[in-house]
Amino acid sequence: MSASACAPGPAVKRVRPLSLASKQAMFAYAIIFPTLAILLVFRFLPMLQAFYLSLTQYDLVHPPKFIGFANFVDLVQDPLFLKSARVSLTYVLFSVVPVLPLSLGLAVLFNRSLWLKNLLRSAIFMPVVMPAVVMAVVWTFMYQQDGVINTILGWLGIDPIAWLRSSASALWAVILIGIWRATPYYMIIFLAGLQAIPADYYDAAKMDGAGRWASFWNITLPLLKPTTLLVVVMNVIVAMKVFAVPLIMTGGGPGDATRVLPLFIYQTAFEFFDMGRAAAMSVFLFVGVMLFSFIQVRLFTRGEELR
Amino acid sequence: MNALGVTAPQGQRTSPTRSRVARIVKRRGTIVVFCALVAIALAVLLPFYWMFSSSLRTMDHMFSLPIQWIPDPVNWQSYALAWQAQDFTRYFFNSGIVAIAITIGNVILCSLAGYSLTKFQYRGRGLMFVLILSTMMLPLEVTMVPLFLIVKELGWQNSYQGLIVPFLVDGFGVFLMRQYMLSIPKDLIDSARIDGASELRIFWMIVMPLCKPALVALAVFTFREAWDMYIWPLIIITKDSLRTLPLGISLFMSSYGTFWDQLMAIAVLGTLPMILLFFFLQRAFIQGIAATGLKE
Repeated sequence: MSASACAPGPAVKRVRPLSLASKQAMFAYAIIFPTLAILLVFRFLPMLQAFYLSLTQYDLVHPPKFIGFANFVDLVQDPLFLKSARVSLTYVLFSVVPVLPLSLGLAVLFNRSLWLKNLLRSAIFMPVVMPAVVMAVVWTFMYQQDGVINTILGWLGIDPIAWLRSSASALWAVILIGIWRATPYYMIIFLAGLQAIPADYYDAAKMDGAGRWASFWNITLPLLKPTTLLVVVMNVIVAMKVFAVPLIMTGGGPGDATRVLPLFIYQTAFEFFDMGRAAAMSVFLFVGVMLFSFIQVRLFTRGEELR
Repeated sequence: MNALGVTAPQGQRTSPTRSRVARIVKRRGTIVVFCALVAIALAVLLPFYWMFSSSLRTMDHMFSLPIQWIPDPVNWQSYALAWQAQDFTRYFFNSGIVAIAITIGNVILCSLAGYSLTKFQYRGRGLMFVLILSTMMLPLEVTMVPLFLIVKELGWQNSYQGLIVPFLVDGFGVFLMRQYMLSIPKDLIDSARIDGASELRIFWMIVMPLCKPALVALAVFTFREAWDMYIWPLIIITKDSLRTLPLGISLFMSSYGTFWDQLMAIAVLGTLPMILLFFFLQRAFIQGIAATGLKE
């Protein structure tokens, strides 16, 4: 700034360099402290406790009883748990894989000048805005035997589907909602990724006589690789955590057709009050989420040296 | 670069017909894309339209064939009936309080933490950042059992603090603010220091205003998540007076499961705040989502 203001600055620093630096460090510690405290108490502590609880038998009434790895041994032999894990895996796989081409395709379509572009983009974005519980209620209504979806299918000559009432279709009905909600979300992320690709690359490719497809395969896709990886990872994590929609729409049924892992954990803990077993299930879920989150965190911090 | 720049206009000059053909093909492509997107948008919006139109349909026309696209007669009553069936005023109020408190907490705490992580040198800074980031690996669905036990131990079951405090800050929010603050020049802060501004004042008067786009995006993003929160209130709230809107809606669904007009009316009302928020803060909304992607 002005010379007079600048002059005493370094002088003061030279006289008491430590105290000023440590004053600033104190401030830095102070402002990060509330964040650390909350995260330690409400994230890390529960995780540690989950590991401990998973080794116990605990019903909220009697004190926890240490039973070693019995919960885990039980779980891997429990057909209900294995079924739940399978349902979760199916949900994850089939709600993640279609979203990838759908959201990328939409993003590519939107990545050009277009009449009413903003309006259309906002319209397609709307599912992200609908609360999960509302979504569950509205889709349950649409999935009724004589509801709007079966009516529309009827126009196409397709017989009515029992959707939520049949264990063969219930999971697919839930997956469809997941896709409806996730696609616009990742479309936005892909769109941001697409817009970050310099137009020069495409111009240069055009000069070399490359067509639309060629530039898509040789420029767009390779440059979108980090974004694609991130979309997959985020989507897998979100899909592993799905809870409200199956709980409200089917309660995990019919039978156990839609009992995803978080729902089973919830029921084990808060309907059957088997906290130890629920914690052991959480550990399984944690391992799954952690694998993918780890990639996400690595993507977020790539090229950075963490000091 | 130069060579390319020169050849381009020449190429166009030598074959005007080809470029016109190209333009027509391109325009036709644009029309096809436009029509496709309109069709997709209509399909995507169907649940919204169906929710709204069904809220105004009378029960005898709810499943009538041929399908009644425009409700006739219009049944506004469903809104009043649904609102009175349960204490929805209270649920709305509770959801509002919780979502606003969580949003304010995140805006302040995430930016303070982000500021600390970017503009100061101290021991353990890298470790703290890694710790904060790694909480992204610990979603509620994994930690719900012990978190419930901790909150119960604190005596926070059936309380606002139980709904709010565990979510006052979020690892991803800190990450978002940190990334944004990396671009704020350190000189700006140093010169304010030389002018004698206190550290807190610098943060509040200089750093925060510069972060406005990121803050709005973070706020919108957090509000949406908080308004959507379901599993946690379900676990710790049993008192009716503390139910949030999602709890109220799911309860209403289980007790009035066949009154579709009223259920859809409540669904419309529960979505309305988000639609309004989206309408007024569209850019921030979309930026908030885009920011969950990668920079550069």
